[in-house]
Amino acid sequence: MLFNSLTFIVFFAIVVSAYWLLPSWNNRKNLLLVASYVFYGAWNPPFAALLFATSALDFYLGARIAAAGEPRSRRAWMVTSVVVNLSMLGFFKYGNFLLENFQWLLDRAGIMYVPPHLDLFLPIGISFYTFHSLSYTLDVHRGATQPTRSLRDFLLAVSFFPQLVAGPIVRAADFLPQCVAPPAPRPGRFIWGLLLMTLGLFQKTVLADTMPSSSADSVFSFGGPLSVLDAWIGVLAFSGQIFFDFAGYSTCAIGAALCLGFELRDNFRFPYAAVGFSDFWRRWHISLSTFLRDYLYIPLGGNRGGPIRAGVNLMIVMLIGGLWHGAAWTFVVWGVIHGLCLVLERVLRAVFRDVAWPAHPGVQILLALGTYAVICLAWVFFRASDFATAARLVSAMAGAFPTGSAILSTREILQVGIVTFALLLAHWALRDITIEIAVARTPRWLLPVLWAAMLFAIILTQGNGHAFIYFQF
Amino acid sequence: MPLSTFSFERSIPALSWREILVATVLLAAGATIAWEVRARSEGYRPTLNDTPDLWADRRRAVQPDSLVIIGDSRALFDLDLDVLEQGFGQRPVQLALAGSCAFPVLKELATDETFRGTIVCSMVPAMFFAPGGPLLETSEKALKRYRTQNLAQRAGHRVGLLLEERIAFLKDSDLTLDQLLKSLPIPNRPTAQVGPRLPPYFQTVDRERRMRMIDSCANPGPLQTRVKTGWPPLFTPPPPPSFVPREAFLADVGKAIEARFANTAAAVKKIRDRGGKVIFVRCPVSGLLKEIEDRATPRAGPWTRLLAETSAPGIYFDDFPELASFDCPEWSHLSAPDSIEFTKRLVPRLRAALEK
Repeated sequence: MLFNSLTFIVFFAIVVSAYWLLPSWNNRKNLLLVASYVFYGAWNPPFAALLFATSALDFYLGARIAAAGEPRSRRAWMVTSVVVNLSMLGFFKYGNFLLENFQWLLDRAGIMYVPPHLDLFLPIGISFYTFHSLSYTLDVHRGATQPTRSLRDFLLAVSFFPQLVAGPIVRAADFLPQCVAPPAPRPGRFIWGLLLMTLGLFQKTVLADTMPSSSADSVFSFGGPLSVLDAWIGVLAFSGQIFFDFAGYSTCAIGAALCLGFELRDNFRFPYAAVGFSDFWRRWHISLSTFLRDYLYIPLGGNRGGPIRAGVNLMIVMLIGGLWHGAAWTFVVWGVIHGLCLVLERVLRAVFRDVAWPAHPGVQILLALGTYAVICLAWVFFRASDFATAARLVSAMAGAFPTGSAILSTREILQVGIVTFALLLAHWALRDITIEIAVARTPRWLLPVLWAAMLFAIILTQGNGHAFIYFQF
Repeated sequence: MPLSTFSFERSIPALSWREILVATVLLAAGATIAWEVRARSEGYRPTLNDTPDLWADRRRAVQPDSLVIIGDSRALFDLDLDVLEQGFGQRPVQLALAGSCAFPVLKELATDETFRGTIVCSMVPAMFFAPGGPLLETSEKALKRYRTQNLAQRAGHRVGLLLEERIAFLKDSDLTLDQLLKSLPIPNRPTAQVGPRLPPYFQTVDRERRMRMIDSCANPGPLQTRVKTGWPPLFTPPPPPSFVPREAFLADVGKAIEARFANTAAAVKKIRDRGGKVIFVRCPVSGLLKEIEDRATPRAGPWTRLLAETSAPGIYFDDFPELASFDCPEWSHLSAPDSIEFTKRLVPRLRAALEK
């Protein structure tokens, strides 16, 4: 079920109404659990069984970890959880990718082997809910949370429908405490949730699907050399599309959760105003970057083994982060570009640590624009279906085809230009504050006007029903 | 960390939220009502959008012995389902798709082992033999939705039908934000390879996907002129891509067309082997558009070869005086009253051809 669908509007209205009408906290949680499985099962009912199996197994393993006295036993149960979760993810998401690469390796060695193509449906959102569930056993193992005794609460923590299929990656340690006592009804929180849902839907339907998406699709699917202008516009369009698409989903999720009295952490903090890549990853998909930091980078040794070891750790984390997004080498390259930039940034920070001029506002703006340009370059590999397309596009961006084709209309160029300019300006203006502060500072009369304008624009899009990009991950 | 402690809490701006919500709802409702009034004042009326969901609904209605209509928009406008039902004793299922190549749908019905009914396939050779691009994508998109439509999408479609039957501004051809932006008069770069725009709203659609031309298009006027002048660019093939040698491109197109003939013959044979029937129908076309089509795909060309290679019967409107006498107001489709008369005259020809 998509947030940007009529089905969801009806579903959400029924669930929210019933939820606040029910007097019993237990019944409310039961309702949310059933609603979450209906929400997920509406895509493909058998996948709900997989979701249940993953969650139930981690519930059991969490209890075993807590009950085990010996560190070795605790570790063994934790490793079991990691292996089972990642095997499930690997089978569905990376099965064909691994087979194809195995075939390629054998081919290089002169061995002919044609593997069977696994006709697998990728369960929607499997990367997200696997991490939701896995965070629990990892946190129980490291003593960051206590195991819950309620299977229902844990199933709800993993499947809570606002964040189930495209994040934010909500850790059980953040969610389970909210299952202890019922939230008090607070109209302000409820209406603020509705406003966030509107903002998220506006980002998705208007700013992602209507304004830049056709330009991005045209440019990335074009089979020939492009003019430098079209190539750049296509890449800028995708940079806007993916931000508004994903941040829109997260904003909707946070808003929907608030309407139900639950609180989820921010997943984005105006990332295109980042100065440097470490700053970018503190602002982009925060729930993934902190997950990888806490459960991979730090266990690998983090910064503790010296700068070279830290650099290697960073590269490992970003490579895996790239692969998490999809089973293709283009995603690995995207991760490697980010890893290399993070390492380079560390080197530069060490070299210029005693210099004052990088803190000058003008330099900061230039650094932010430079960061954005490299991020856009990396998006080429993220979005391109293969390396040939990526190479052709990067060459076009460098002006390699003076007679390259012009495929975008002036209207599309203007749309992307205006949206990109407004996006960068807004991110820079808001980079040091939160959306809540920005709204609190907005003139009182302007808020309903802006909110109504967003609602009207969403209505004008007439529910085109494009799936969210991050669903495929 | 004990379970009872919760380490963060979102701050909520301290504002008078109830007042803000009420003002927002009033403003948004006012804007929406004003937009509806404006849409109606410009001639828009509530009708369905012909979406892949609606097509999937109809595809599910196909029974093993159904009479199924496939093809392009001419089948949607020109063939009246009530008249066909009277003529054949069974309600036809409308599966034609505007702006499409019908081959993927024909192939899908051929691979459906349960289907042994009758297919009436509207034939515009330039569309049916399109080697690729949007014409094929339209059919493939509808088929994909039929194969993958989930419960949530079906439920959303049901709600959408209720709204579209009541609200005039729900027109995906004209009044979406995207279409409104596309209608801005902004000139393109001289070298820009930008495709022509699709026609605006000029028809009603019901739940069985019967399309009827609206009066403001059937009668001379600005809408009719706009629709009419939109066809020639759409029926003019785009130039070969500059980055592929012309000879290689034309050779590839030629191969694709040859394959289409062979694959169509194979699909028709498959259906006939199961006891089904296929008949091709060339619906009326007028004016400059007829000249363009006759020049690009003369009757003696693809049409004749198709009938020969498939051994299927065909009805070409020009061959029968009672069918050739119709005039398409906007060159491509019949008006709603004419479509009823056309179908009445077509039915005996269809029956005769199918009984041969």
